[in-house]
Amino acid sequence: MKIRLDTYLKAHLEESHSGARPRRNRDSQDREAVLADMLAEAEAAGDPMRYPNAKGRIGWRATPQLREYLKDLKADADADAEEEAM
Amino acid sequence: MLRYWSDRIAFTDQALKVNVERLEREWGKYQRSRDRNGIYRYLAAVFELITWWQHYNIAEMYARRAICLKEGRPVDHVPEPFAAIIQCTADPNKVDYRMRSKWSRALRYAFEFKRRKETLGAFMRRRGGINRCATKFARRLGRASSKAANSDLVK
Repeated sequence: MKIRLDTYLKAHLEESHSGARPRRNRDSQDREAVLADMLAEAEAAGDPMRYPNAKGRIGWRATPQLREYLKDLKADADADAEEEAM
Repeated sequence: MLRYWSDRIAFTDQALKVNVERLEREWGKYQRSRDRNGIYRYLAAVFELITWWQHYNIAEMYARRAICLKEGRPVDHVPEPFAAIIQCTADPNKVDYRMRSKWSRALRYAFEFKRRKETLGAFMRRRGGINRCATKFARRLGRASSKAANSDLVK
């Protein structure tokens, strides 16, 4: 069964753990196990939080703090891109 | 039974600590904001944490653990989970026992009757606000309800 992640968190985990990113040719059990390890580590750092979703299942999403951090990074990157374009 | 990978991820003391800190920040945000609905954001954060604990039937254990972590020593009496987490995360000079108890009753009422898709704030506002939800809890689920049931039995 899939671990349910929001898009912010998924992007963050893929970026910060790119070395440990599970490959597509691994079987799904293996990928979920790697993802579970990443989440456990990230949860202790305060990046993701668990929440009950609308279907009554437990999903994972970025904490408000991580969202703010990612939004700030994106704003910085956009500003840099604009500067380069000029 | 643990069916999903997500269920197998242990919730460590460090994870508990960062979650409590997150709620403390929510409390701080509420205190700084002038938004009259700000309290719902704080209560929603408390509600969400306890709801996922309840999902795994670990709310009482982690509420106790949170209080012990906060106090830095074992604690004999721990209130029910909603009140315990409010006690850990809200300023005790601003939230006394009565207010904590009222919020906790309102949250327990929402836990029983709120539909999953509705936000906590929307639910509570629709039901007349925090005070009304707390009163309804007492009437529907609290001691008053068991007294009423007992008196029905006597009749």
